[in-house]
Amino acid sequence: MAIKIKLTSVLVDNQDKALKFYTEVLGFAISKDFDVGGGYRWITVVAPEGHPDVELALEPNANPVGKAFQTGLFQQGIPATAFEVDDVQAEFRRLKEHGVVFTSEPKQMGPMWLAVFADTCGNLIQIYQPSPTS
Amino acid sequence: MARLGRAREMLCEALNRRLTIAEVAREAALSPYQFIRTFKAVFGETPHQVRIQARLELAKRMLAMSDDPVTEICGAAGFASLGSFSHLFSQRIGASPSVFRRQLRARVQVPEDVQRTLYPGCFTLMAYWPDLSKRNFQEAPAARF
Repeated sequence: MAIKIKLTSVLVDNQDKALKFYTEVLGFAISKDFDVGGGYRWITVVAPEGHPDVELALEPNANPVGKAFQTGLFQQGIPATAFEVDDVQAEFRRLKEHGVVFTSEPKQMGPMWLAVFADTCGNLIQIYQPSPTS
Repeated sequence: MARLGRAREMLCEALNRRLTIAEVAREAALSPYQFIRTFKAVFGETPHQVRIQARLELAKRMLAMSDDPVTEICGAAGFASLGSFSHLFSQRIGASPSVFRRQLRARVQVPEDVQRTLYPGCFTLMAYWPDLSKRNFQEAPAARF
């Protein structure tokens, strides 16, 4: 099949702050970072241990539609996206040490472990640990 | 967390009125000290930084979309003096308010395009690149695909 999932994105309220959080705290690596004019940049990051071909764009939420969407999700406690981790408990402890605020501490939901934190850029992000058999 | 989100919205509204940290903290049901600390941990910025940024965004929109004098925009965005507004605007945006307005109008003739310049579209950001040599991923010189 020619169609692929290669790029996804999260809206962020400040690209500098987002780049810092997603690389220095979450541990993603920069893939692209270049100026696109108007004070905005095209920034994508990749997970060092994830699929190298899948990138996450840190998109500015400057468009009012994007901002409304992001604010709505945040206020309803809905994660903007989810990232897989090997060990939710270990990641929870590591992120807490970086001062990350969790809205939901690790808990088991069916076969998965989940936790939700604020990414400092206007989003709630879920981390999940699939069961060994899934 | 929802209350914290509402407090953040409050900081971005009614920008020309005086708002105390105690008022906003009440919205979040926290003491002012707890509010500032939690707000910074969740949003990565202090309440003051968020309000200043919202004021600058409003000023940018008004400069682009209206013919109001800079002095009026300064007041509508909640800045106390023209001097502090111009200084902060130049520092953050890279041009004084009047130069920013001139540059934008020189570049963009169609009103809808002003909107696009101010607000990049989600996923379509690349389509608004001003430099025609960078119209897609492959052609972007700094890109590595």
